[in-house]
Amino acid sequence: MAKEDYFKWAESVLDPSMAFEKPEALADIKVVELATLILGPSLPAIMAEMGATVFKVELPGAGDTMRSLTPLARFHNEAALGWLKEARNKYHLAVDVHHEEGKKLFKELVKRSDVVVENVRAGTMDRWGLGYRQLKEINPRLIYIALSGFGQWGTFVERPSYDAIAQAESGMAWITGFPDKLPLKSGIWLADYFGALMGMVGVMAALAHRDRTGEGQFIEMSQAENMIRALDWTWLWQHYSGKGRERHGNRDVSICPSDIFPCKDNMMAIAAATEVQFRGLCTAMGKPELCEDPRFKTHAARLEEENAVVLLDVIRSWSAGKSSAEIDKLAGEYGFAAHKVCDGKDHFEDEHLIKRNFTCTVDDLVYGEIVEEGIVPKFSETPGRIKWAGRPVGFDNEYVLKRFLGLSAEQIQFLKDHNIIGKWVDNPPGRKPPASWDGKSGIKLG
Amino acid sequence: MSDQDKDKKTDWRDWVRESDDPARAFTKPEALDNLTVLDCSYANMAGCFATSILAEFGAEVIRIEPPDGDPVRSYSPWGFMNKGTGLGYLNEGRNKFHVTLNLQKPEGRQVFSKLAKTADIVVETFLPGVMDEWEIGYRQLSGFNPRLIYCAIYTYGQFGPMAACGKADADVVNQAYSGITSITGERPEDPEHPKPSEVPTRQGNWMGWYAGGAWASAAMLVALHHRVNSGKGQFIDVSPGEAFGRCINYGLTYYQGFKDVLPRLGNWDPGVFPYTYFRCKDGYAFLAGFSDINWEALCTILNRPDLRAQFPTIFDRLNPDNMGTMYKEIEKWTLARTYDEIYDAVMAYNKTGGKGVVVPGKVSAPIDTMKTENWWERHALQRVNDPHYGETIIANQAWKMTASPPRVKWVCRPVGADNEHIYGMKLGLGPKQLATMKENGLL
Repeated sequence: MAKEDYFKWAESVLDPSMAFEKPEALADIKVVELATLILGPSLPAIMAEMGATVFKVELPGAGDTMRSLTPLARFHNEAALGWLKEARNKYHLAVDVHHEEGKKLFKELVKRSDVVVENVRAGTMDRWGLGYRQLKEINPRLIYIALSGFGQWGTFVERPSYDAIAQAESGMAWITGFPDKLPLKSGIWLADYFGALMGMVGVMAALAHRDRTGEGQFIEMSQAENMIRALDWTWLWQHYSGKGRERHGNRDVSICPSDIFPCKDNMMAIAAATEVQFRGLCTAMGKPELCEDPRFKTHAARLEEENAVVLLDVIRSWSAGKSSAEIDKLAGEYGFAAHKVCDGKDHFEDEHLIKRNFTCTVDDLVYGEIVEEGIVPKFSETPGRIKWAGRPVGFDNEYVLKRFLGLSAEQIQFLKDHNIIGKWVDNPPGRKPPASWDGKSGIKLG
Repeated sequence: MSDQDKDKKTDWRDWVRESDDPARAFTKPEALDNLTVLDCSYANMAGCFATSILAEFGAEVIRIEPPDGDPVRSYSPWGFMNKGTGLGYLNEGRNKFHVTLNLQKPEGRQVFSKLAKTADIVVETFLPGVMDEWEIGYRQLSGFNPRLIYCAIYTYGQFGPMAACGKADADVVNQAYSGITSITGERPEDPEHPKPSEVPTRQGNWMGWYAGGAWASAAMLVALHHRVNSGKGQFIDVSPGEAFGRCINYGLTYYQGFKDVLPRLGNWDPGVFPYTYFRCKDGYAFLAGFSDINWEALCTILNRPDLRAQFPTIFDRLNPDNMGTMYKEIEKWTLARTYDEIYDAVMAYNKTGGKGVVVPGKVSAPIDTMKTENWWERHALQRVNDPHYGETIIANQAWKMTASPPRVKWVCRPVGADNEHIYGMKLGLGPKQLATMKENGLL
């Protein structure tokens, strides 16, 4: 069949603008989150995109510290940008779980739910009477995931951790950056986001097990160990060579050519690994003879240090005289890989990413129009979607307690009066609704 | 903490270890051992990592390589080979069956179609439309297997203005496209004349492909749950560039709000400071003290109340111009100490019950990571003796699970090593037929 026909078909079955006309894959799944910062809360955010009902439980008042995390102290419509990434599609509940009545509410939610996600210090939930051992008694089908820096047991169990420590202790930072500089921390909270994503995969595998057997289970995940798993050939190389893996800037020493080169107007990632891709690149550079040169003819030969250095220099000289658009066009024509180093502006304006709903505009009842990173996988039957951007602290208390727990107005009033549930404070920023809010939009059953 | 609480903590750790120690994974069932996966990834580690995850959870993953092997087997540091297989692939061959099949030939495609009739999942990484043109794409396969979950992985995806551009998929390009490379890297001392090492910088590993593979496996498991509920399979499109890009802290909303892009700040975080790596006597140490109370704790440990007074609020500490001053002052203290001395001083403070917490960490070279007992005790790293490839050291998945844990059963297999086993079992093809297929260039 013709390719044009294929692309038409693919768009017709995947078009994100049709998402709301289709079912959601995790519509039957409920998740209770008792987590802070990024590693924990980003996991249910992904499940919420796929249709899960997520109850985020935070403390009344200031709530999750994440509501403060924003670059250069700049908030967008009074919301912290870091928080927006993980607030989508969740019900935001503020319950004081230190209080016995708060614990009861938490357990009532868990009874009706499928998954619990937490990232407090190892053993804390158990000490509070809200750990897996207690919760499985009231919900044997429960899948419970505890995320942390170093896991629930072992030599490092007492150590507190952060994303940057997982990047550091795994070796990820050591192999990133240039030899003449310090080991480099990623520009993102890599171990947190990638940890949450892999944690979600673990939960989904446990769900597959439960779908077959009816049995729930406990999962623990260390974000540092998850970084270790992601370091591709590091461990085998060190084992066989006896040498440590170091950092090599943007050059990939296991694929040649693969590097980031300056071009006229930008920095350009260029790679050509297979023989077809390499032939394409050489032809595009007007140097088809390179493919016949014994130094470059096979990938094995190109990977040898002295040959790699020569070849990368040839490409560097060539790219310096071209614009990113010219190289991009040639890459398409000749079938090698190339893309300029993109930033937020590029994504904001990228028609391709807009069409694919990666660059996604959410029209939110509380925070207004938010442009944010959207849904990654495109599904033909059960597309993911963003329904709302996030909610202030305790915003959904009444709705959740009424609809999911069946509490009466009097019972809810009692909980408020005794500070077991509560709402936002005005300070620190990022907790309360923005000044533009009309006092009623977004309140469900209001 | 009371003695009773300490007992509870020990009791919890003992219970968890008893229940999820990977040393006992082999006594437990596998979550996905009812699934058959056909993986025709080509020159692409995103596909390979996606199916590694499925295989580690027990799925029967059949890797379909061209007769002379997937070129991805040549991706290896300086071309280092173990019995013809590069180390990148050797690491992701785990628990997979390896067959060859020439999909360039119509007869090869027929064989693939037959395998796909009873498969649960197909993963592929060709340029969009290639499988469809070969009549083994989702449109064709779902016709006779409506329960099939089909995942196509490509930098630009299966639709949208760039989908037909024809560019190849590569890790470094996925990283560059993600937006993350632009904010990773050293801050140029002289912005007009940045040094070659003060440029946008990729993650040292194949992070674009690993993020793509992780998202693909997540999507396939989501689709599997839908299939349990509805009986229907579906088509999935994953771009590793978008997959990694979803991990950005704040890209699009920052541009929307401030019509600006974030600067590269090296090891500094524009949203949290101090939260960075410092040079010390024998390496590098991580220290953080961002919130007012933790900043106070850090200044107390450093015995520098003047610093606290000079930068009292988070707004002072998030000003990039102040970051340099604070960094230099803190580094004076770290440079006078070894990592262990720093760690001990900080942890001693944390135990005093004083205000706030400072979290220390070591920037470890991977060769030192490999010597750290904790990772072996936790089975994060593991020695596996492979009958073909000999002794290996591999990293395990980080999930420790009480009921259906992941595991590594074998590390890798040579090209076509499972042809007889898989084609015999799945299609009833015996040695004679396989010999003919081989003569015809199919295997």
